[in-house]
Amino acid sequence: MIVVETRAPVRHKVTAVTGLEAAAHAVRLARVPMLSGYPITPQTYIIEYLTGMIDRGELDATFIPAESEHAVMSFMIGASLAGSRTFTATTGQGLAYMYEPYFLASTLRVPVVMAIAMREMIGPSSGFPSHQDIITVRDAGWVQLYVEDNQEVLDTTIMAFKIAEHPDVLLPVNVCFDGFYVSYSTARVEIPEQAAVDGFLPPYRPTHISLDPQLGICVNNVAISGQLVMEYRHSHAQGMESAKRVINEVDEEFGRVFGWRYGGLLEKYRLDDADLVLVTMAGICGTARAVVDQARERGLKLGLLKLRSFRPFPAAELRQALEGKAAAGVIDRNLSFGWGAGVVHTELRAALLGAAHPPHVVGFIAGLGGLEITLDQFDRAIDVLQRAAAGQSVPQVTWLGMEGGK
Amino acid sequence: MNLKRLPRKVGWLLLEKPKLEKAYKELKDREDLGTPGSGNCLGCVLEKTLRFTFQVLGRNTVAVFGGGCVAIGFAGYDRSPGMKITTVLPLLTHTASLSTGIKRHFQRTGQDVNVVAFCGDGSTADLSLASVSAAAERGENIIYICYDNQGTQNTGAQATTTTTYGLATPTAPAGARYHGKASFGKDMALLMALHPGVSYAATGSMAYPYDYKAKLEKALEVKDGMVYIHVFSPCVSGWDTATDNTLTISRMAVETNLFPLWEAEHGKFRLTKSLTFHKPVREYLKLIGGFSHLSGRQIDELQREVDKRMGHLKALAAS
Repeated sequence: MIVVETRAPVRHKVTAVTGLEAAAHAVRLARVPMLSGYPITPQTYIIEYLTGMIDRGELDATFIPAESEHAVMSFMIGASLAGSRTFTATTGQGLAYMYEPYFLASTLRVPVVMAIAMREMIGPSSGFPSHQDIITVRDAGWVQLYVEDNQEVLDTTIMAFKIAEHPDVLLPVNVCFDGFYVSYSTARVEIPEQAAVDGFLPPYRPTHISLDPQLGICVNNVAISGQLVMEYRHSHAQGMESAKRVINEVDEEFGRVFGWRYGGLLEKYRLDDADLVLVTMAGICGTARAVVDQARERGLKLGLLKLRSFRPFPAAELRQALEGKAAAGVIDRNLSFGWGAGVVHTELRAALLGAAHPPHVVGFIAGLGGLEITLDQFDRAIDVLQRAAAGQSVPQVTWLGMEGGK
Repeated sequence: MNLKRLPRKVGWLLLEKPKLEKAYKELKDREDLGTPGSGNCLGCVLEKTLRFTFQVLGRNTVAVFGGGCVAIGFAGYDRSPGMKITTVLPLLTHTASLSTGIKRHFQRTGQDVNVVAFCGDGSTADLSLASVSAAAERGENIIYICYDNQGTQNTGAQATTTTTYGLATPTAPAGARYHGKASFGKDMALLMALHPGVSYAATGSMAYPYDYKAKLEKALEVKDGMVYIHVFSPCVSGWDTATDNTLTISRMAVETNLFPLWEAEHGKFRLTKSLTFHKPVREYLKLIGGFSHLSGRQIDELQREVDKRMGHLKALAAS
C-alpha cells in the first residue's frame, strides 16, 4: 500500500472482516445488481455475505441461486450481455468446472468481475491454498489481478469494475487472493463511504452491446471466416494491452480519491537500491515484506517486486524494474508441468530477453497444497540468491519445504 | 389407386385439414422472423418449426439458440444475422443458464421481453441437463423449446439419450455386434413437466401445427414460471429417410403413440390429441431407414415400452 496525500480525505469505517467479506463490501459499494455463486471451499461464505446484505436492505440486487459454477458464469454472461454489472466468486475445481463459459466471458467481452479464493487443484484431494487453479487458466483472456490482504481485496474489487468496464478494455477481471489465508481470515479493513465510491465508479452503461430484440443482431454467431476470429482476437489483445495503462490510471485515481494506492501493475518494495530481489504474487508478499525488512537489518540489500497484474503481463515494467539487479528469485505457488518450473518464473525469463543488464534469475516452487511458506524457507531462497549473485552454480529451480523428503 | 390409403386420406381431409388451414390463415399477417434461406438440410422439418415458432411468439423476443442444427440454420454466419430479432448463440452446455441471466436482467429493469431458448436434444437432454433442470426447479420465466431430432445430427447423427431404441447411429450402428441404439431413450418432456417450477409443459409436432400453435400461445401467457415444449423433429440424413417424408413421419409418431401430444398446466396433464385407435409402432419404423435392420424381438420390445409409457401418460391425464 502506498499512502497518497489527498485534498479531501475519504472517511473510512474501520472494521475487522474476512477477505470474502471485504469483497462483499466492495460489491455493495459498487452497487452490483446481478450476483450469483456456488459454494466451494475456501470461497463459500461470499454467498451468505451477499444474500445477507440483500436481506438487510443494504444492497439492492438479484442473487440467482445456481446448481453449479458452470451455471454461475453463464448467468453472469447473460446478465452482462443484457446490461447488468455482475459479480461472482469461485476457486479450484469450481473454476475448472466453469472453464467453458469462463473462456466465453472474455471472448464475448463481458466485463464480469470474479473474485478467486485461490486453491490447489485436486489430485491428491487438496483444497488448500495454491495459485494453481487460476494460473492454469491464464490464457483464457481474463485480466488477472493478484492481491495480498483483505484491504487490497476490497480496494481492488472496486477498481476491477472500473478497469473491466473501461471502453478501451471491456474484459472480465479476476481479483485473486489466497484461499483461507485471506479469504477466511479476519483482518483490519477500512471501508470507504458510499458517496466516495459513487464518485469514483459511475454506473455501468454498456455501449458495445445491447440485447434490444428490435436490433436483430446475433451475438456470438457462427464464424465461418477465420478473418472474423482474427479480428476478434486482435481486438481482445488490444484490450489487454490497454488494460496495462488503465490498471495504472485507475490505481492512481484510486489513490487521489481514497488516500492510498497499490502501484498498479506492480509494486516495488525497498527495490530501488536492492541488489537481490524477491519476485512473487498475492499473500506471499506479506511474508516477503517481513523477510526484506529483516534482511535489511542484517545489511543485506534485498527488495521485493510484487506482481499485481499477471494478465496483462507487464513485461516492459518488470524488465525496467529489474534492470541492473544482481539476482532475482521468483517464488511460485504453482507449477508448470513439463517446464519443471513455476509459471511466473518462466514468464519473467521471457520478459527479460533483450534487457541490457538482466539479473540472474532463479526460481522457487513453494507452498503448494497450502504448505506454509516459512521464514526458514525464505532463508534458503536468499542463500540461493546470494550464491547466484556471486556467480556460483545454483539450480535453476529449487523446491522449498520438502528438504526432508528430497 | 391404393385403396388401403384411402380411409386415412379421407379422415385427414375431413378432420385435420380445416384445422391446419385455419392455423396457417391466422398467421398469414404475422411476420416471418427468420431471414431468407437456411443452412439446414433439404427436407428438414426444423426450418418449418423455427419459422412457425417465432411467427407465433412475435417480435418482442430475444432468442437463445443452442449450438446445433438451429445454429447452422438460423444463427447467421459471420456478419450476417440469421434472424430479424436479436439472437444469442450460447454454448451447448448452458442455454438455460444463459437465458436465465438475460431474463433476470429484463425482469430487474422492468422490461417485458420474451426470452426463448431454442435448443436440440443433445444439448437439452445430455450436455446441459443440469442447467435445464435447475432453471425449471427455480421456475425461471423463460420459454424453453427443445427440438428433438434424436441425435447430435450436425456432427453426423450420433445417438443422444433421447434417441429411440434400435435406431442405427454411428454410436451403435446396425451390424453383427451392434443392433442400433441399445437403450430406450429418456422421456425428456415428462421429466421436465414434473418440475414444480414448470408452469407449462407440452409436446408439439409440425404435423399438427394448430395444436403446436395453441401451445405456443399459452406459453406466451405464462409469467409465473418456466415453459418447456418438446418438439418432434425427424432428421432426413441422420435417420435415413426421404426428403419429402418428415411430416409423414411426424404424423405417424403421434398416431403410433411413440410421440403423444399432451400438455401439463401446473402439473395438470391433458392429452391434446387423443386417439381412439393407435397404430402399431411397426408402421412408424417402416418409414425410417435407420430402423430397417430391427428384428421382430426388437420391435416387440419397443412396442412394449411405447405401451408402458402411454399407460403412464394416460394415468397422469386421468389423475
